[in-house]
Amino acid sequence: MSQDRIAGIDVATNSTDISNIINEMIICIKGKQMPEVHEKAMDHLSKMIAANSRVIRDSNMLTERECVQKIMKLLSARNKKEEGKTVSDHFNELYRKLTLTKCDPHMRHSLMTHLLTMTDNSDAEKAVASEDPRTQCDNLTQILVSRLNSISSSIASLNEMGVVNGNGVGAAAVTGAAAVTGAAAVTGAAAVTGAAASHSYDATQSSIGLRKQSLPNYLDATKMLPESRHDIVMSAIYSFTGVQGKYLKKDVVTGRFKLDQQNIKFLTTGQAGMLLRLSELGYYHDRVVKFSDVSTGFNAIGSMGQALISKLKEELANFHGQVAMLHDEMQRFRQASVNGIANKGKKDSGPDAGDEMTLFKLLAWYIKPLHRMQWLTKIADACQVKKGGDLASTVYDFLDNGNDMVNKLVEDLLTAICGPLVRMISKWILEGGISDMHREFFVKSIKDVGVDRLWHDKFRLRLPMLPKFVPMDMANKILMTGKSINFLREICEEQGMMKERDELMKVMESSASQIFSYTPDTSWHAAVETCYQQTSKHVLDIMVGPHKLLDHLHGMRRYLLLGQGDFISILIENMKNELERPGLDIYANDLTSMLDSALRCTNAQYDDPDILNHLDVIVQRPFNGDIGWNIISLQYIVHGPLAAMLESTMPTYKVLFKPLWRMKHMEFVLSMKIWKEQMGNAKALRTMKSEIGKASHRLNLFTSEIMHFIHQMQYYVLFEVIECNWVELQKKMQKATTLDEILEAHEKFLQTILVGCFVSNKASVEHSLEVVYENIIELEKWQSSFYKDCFKELNARKELSKIVEKSEKKGVYGLTNKMILQRDQEAKIFAEKMDIACRGLEVIATDYEKAVSTFLMSLNSSDDPNLQLFGTRLDFNEYYKKRDTNLSKPLTFEHMRMSNVFAVNSRFVICTPSTQE
Amino acid sequence: MPSEIITLQLGQCGNQIGFEFWKRLCLEHGISPSGVLEDFANDGLDRKDVFFYQADDDHYIPRAVLLDLEPRVINTIMGSVYSKLYNPENVYLSKHGGGAGNNWASGYSQGEKLQEEVFDIIDREADGSDSLEGFILCHSIAGGTGSGMGSFIMERLADRYPKKLIQTFSVFPNQDEISDVVVQPYNSMLTLKRLTTAADSVVVLDNTALNRIACDRLHIQNPSFSQINNLVSTIMSVSTTTLRYPSYMNNNLIGLTAPLIPTPQLHFLMTGYTPLTSDSDIHTQQLVNVRKTTVLDVMRRLLQPKNMMVSTGPDKSNHHCYISILNIIQGEVDPTQVHKSLQRIRDRKMAQFIPWGPTSIQVALSRSSPYVQSNHRVSGLMLANHTSICSLFERALNQYDKLRKRGAFLDQFRREDIFKDDLNELDESRETVDCLVQEYEAATREDYMQFSVKRGNGPVDSKSEDSRSVTSAGS
Repeated sequence: MSQDRIAGIDVATNSTDISNIINEMIICIKGKQMPEVHEKAMDHLSKMIAANSRVIRDSNMLTERECVQKIMKLLSARNKKEEGKTVSDHFNELYRKLTLTKCDPHMRHSLMTHLLTMTDNSDAEKAVASEDPRTQCDNLTQILVSRLNSISSSIASLNEMGVVNGNGVGAAAVTGAAAVTGAAAVTGAAAVTGAAASHSYDATQSSIGLRKQSLPNYLDATKMLPESRHDIVMSAIYSFTGVQGKYLKKDVVTGRFKLDQQNIKFLTTGQAGMLLRLSELGYYHDRVVKFSDVSTGFNAIGSMGQALISKLKEELANFHGQVAMLHDEMQRFRQASVNGIANKGKKDSGPDAGDEMTLFKLLAWYIKPLHRMQWLTKIADACQVKKGGDLASTVYDFLDNGNDMVNKLVEDLLTAICGPLVRMISKWILEGGISDMHREFFVKSIKDVGVDRLWHDKFRLRLPMLPKFVPMDMANKILMTGKSINFLREICEEQGMMKERDELMKVMESSASQIFSYTPDTSWHAAVETCYQQTSKHVLDIMVGPHKLLDHLHGMRRYLLLGQGDFISILIENMKNELERPGLDIYANDLTSMLDSALRCTNAQYDDPDILNHLDVIVQRPFNGDIGWNIISLQYIVHGPLAAMLESTMPTYKVLFKPLWRMKHMEFVLSMKIWKEQMGNAKALRTMKSEIGKASHRLNLFTSEIMHFIHQMQYYVLFEVIECNWVELQKKMQKATTLDEILEAHEKFLQTILVGCFVSNKASVEHSLEVVYENIIELEKWQSSFYKDCFKELNARKELSKIVEKSEKKGVYGLTNKMILQRDQEAKIFAEKMDIACRGLEVIATDYEKAVSTFLMSLNSSDDPNLQLFGTRLDFNEYYKKRDTNLSKPLTFEHMRMSNVFAVNSRFVICTPSTQE
Repeated sequence: MPSEIITLQLGQCGNQIGFEFWKRLCLEHGISPSGVLEDFANDGLDRKDVFFYQADDDHYIPRAVLLDLEPRVINTIMGSVYSKLYNPENVYLSKHGGGAGNNWASGYSQGEKLQEEVFDIIDREADGSDSLEGFILCHSIAGGTGSGMGSFIMERLADRYPKKLIQTFSVFPNQDEISDVVVQPYNSMLTLKRLTTAADSVVVLDNTALNRIACDRLHIQNPSFSQINNLVSTIMSVSTTTLRYPSYMNNNLIGLTAPLIPTPQLHFLMTGYTPLTSDSDIHTQQLVNVRKTTVLDVMRRLLQPKNMMVSTGPDKSNHHCYISILNIIQGEVDPTQVHKSLQRIRDRKMAQFIPWGPTSIQVALSRSSPYVQSNHRVSGLMLANHTSICSLFERALNQYDKLRKRGAFLDQFRREDIFKDDLNELDESRETVDCLVQEYEAATREDYMQFSVKRGNGPVDSKSEDSRSVTSAGS
């Protein structure tokens, strides 16, 4: 059955060979045994390998090579020879065979690890458990000699010993088997930390049960050798604090205790097993010591790590206290024992056996300390080289444990660890300061960021340092609170501290352990929330009150986003000469007075001077061909707290200003130049209607076509995009409880407008728009040239009329043939110019209509329902649709599209009705 | 101040509706009848300087010129509580006080005689403006002073201020009544020519429609002039609201007017307003809750003929259409409702539009005065360019032809210099108005683009122009 189990583990095809090799390896280690014993060993080995293969793979155990070397070393120490070769050499030979077979390296590694354990334990039990009568006789002889040396006795005593020896053979065999099982189990448990508790517990229970059967022999033995018993117990107690004793020595490789080779022969099988089990506590003690020593490099780091180390040392101190009590008890018993011996003559019986410290009592005592040490080791091991929130999170994970002792322990550790964290949080949210020498706080200050970027960039969350028991929203609130305090102090120059500051400090520090409460609803969390609310409100009040943040946003909406239309119109009227001038000839100081004039003459004059003083005209560096329209723009200058809030949005306003300004430019050209000139010149040129009527008519209709486009565009952008989103923004700002809510809503407002203004949109849309605008400029040039020719002709005719009139008064014939011919020639030239002009106008109109069709195509194809509806309204009477078949094709599913659009309307981004109809 | 507008009130009708207009503006801007700003009107959200200027003593004075050839109406104004409002130097009464006798020629001639004094006033007002945008002229087209003197002044304004806009609020006579003025067709025709050639924008106020509205909508049995004029002042004040309460668009007269007028000839606008109430209704309304009027209600009703201030008669062939529309909406307006209303109107094809160019309904959401209580949550004014406006002109042509054919009532015209030699001015006016009708008819068709080609080749036009030139030289 054992062979089948091993074969099941192994994936190799030659399982029979492998099992044979393993069989021979076990014989090398344990020697030839009875078949039952051998089968048990094989079976146990297969179980251990199956259970622990995965865990061992990930642990920091000895390497495979190291295991093999260790085994060979141990076998060499026995100095036995077999078939002409040393056992060590034979084992090495067997190992080479095993490596030649196809075998899972991890499984082989696991096998070697367990064989090493078997070899180590076998050395301990070999002396007492061997079935060879000769070996047994040798051991008995040694015991006998030892007793003769210490106690004189008669021949009758020798006979009595003989009787005991006869009984001991069977008992030893049974005890040896139990010891092998128990030792292997405990050793295996040590290798698997996750299962340590249960395995250790089971082993102990098993040992206790088995021990009862061997009690008579044990009692007899201990009665015979009190000094020896004392030394044995003392070794066990010394091992609890990692001290080597007479019978227990440390393995420098594993750090665990092993039985001393020189004195092992003086121990019974039971004693040896118990010593090894008890020394396990010392092993864990040493590991805790290692983790609590900063010089080893295996410790947690940072101030929170220091807290953990302090706690570990405290635990060790408590443990040492308990061990010291054991020493005291031993000392008292020994003193009493000595006195008892001296007074033996006075009393018939010896001291009470119940007062003596025994291995059995230690086994009962050590269970709890072992359990605690094991968990301390596990936790401290997980915390190696960790700090800050990462450290706290690691310890926090151990809270999820059903064992009360473990829960309490972890809570104590976590309370200690979170002490520095809570103090850092308190300092940050009450004073805005960061004391973080070890970079373990989850809020970090970026040194290179100046105060002008304080609000947006200077403070960040250091996410790896955020404990998992601090929710992200609370972390953000903590970040916000401290940032706000810094903002108030550094930028707003507020000196007053928060009210109730001392009280909040007291609450937070007195309830520090609540930080890792299962639900974040403790008084500590409430105190943090209070800090957040009060600080946020303070910042909000400061910015909205004295610094007029909302008023400035409104100012930017009116002046940079052209919401104050009359101001813009007058500004353009004032600056129109500069706007037409080549860029190189424009100077900013001239424009400033024009801006001031426009502000004084419009409703802007009633605005808050604090707002108007931030408005300025800037002249960008001109390139060749630039005119005023290209390089003149408005800007809003912010400084101080407003700069901290709004500086990051200024580039967006600058980007947005351009298309809006361009639209105003187009409207100005169309209305105040083209249309106005057409209306005026229609009166002046009425007499020439027969000649220029065709061109004028086409000009008028084309102009009205463009006028419609520009007005619809303006309405869409200025009203549906900007105004409607502005209304939404105002609602959000009214409801905002923190400054970041306002800034976030404002940022979203700007981003929505960027899309709506066809900035950061599809390139085709922007390009079509630009072609439309260019054609408007072309039209203006065309019209200027056209009317110049018309008036030239008109003036010529008037001049001719004057000549005729003058000559009539004189009574002479005024017109000469030369003049008549010249006039006819000029009239022909003018007629030709009109034809050329008409054709030029058609070219512009064709280009324009093509651009508009492309623009409409882009709108209709857009995923944005707002843009689709805008496209629909641009073509409200379906004029373009009729003229361009391409525009009809995507709209063949118009009704379906409209249905989709209106379905989407329920989440229209512009705004939702505030009242029901 | 920029974008100022000077209001010229001519004749009895012009001064009556002008008087109502200024009363309403004072109410809306919180200006007392004596021109003093009321205590409650200091928030400064409105643009008073478009229509008023401030004197050195901080009084607000209308940018108004009051002109008449007889004293009755102006004396009534100067005897009212608003007598101190106007600049006395801007009130001009003819010295002889005899009026124009409902004769266009008489009014025109007197205008010519008095032009130096009249334009001294106008020039002074224009010089007092920082950036004059244009003139608003209130007059009737069928009387003597408003039509004749108004025509003369329009022509001179066009010459002297060619870069300024001329907009008129022109009251057309009531066709449902027998007029006291027998020569009304002659007056109308002569005035219409000047409205066509000298004005940039004409807001048509049709007394026929105004009476119908007063009877049918306001339930007034015999509406008085005051009640009719109150309707007119509503039209005038709302159509200028966006100039006085500036927003992101439509802040000046040109920006407001340009999209409505595609070609210089087609500049006759009709208006509609809803909902309408009268003083007698106010008492009734107080007993009832404020009506829950919505934007769609307003915009739909504005498209109904019964709310139009112009009576165009039935369109048998259903071929007339909107050239363009501007709706000025006031009140508690949810912006998304505007969007949905436009979409609804388009989907249901509630309005018929021109086929030869892109056009649509433009919407201007305008603030209204916080000092004037409104009985309606939402109200709206429509300014529309509709081809059916030409039916008014056709009616005028028909009436003119009847009289002209018989040569009736022409003696009074012959007495004036302009008609001393011949009556060509009358026939030329008819020609001009006829061309206007033809152009509006052409605008209903898809081939309006090619309209001018047909007319441009006519030899009669050329001859007519030459003839007119000779006549002008003669005068």
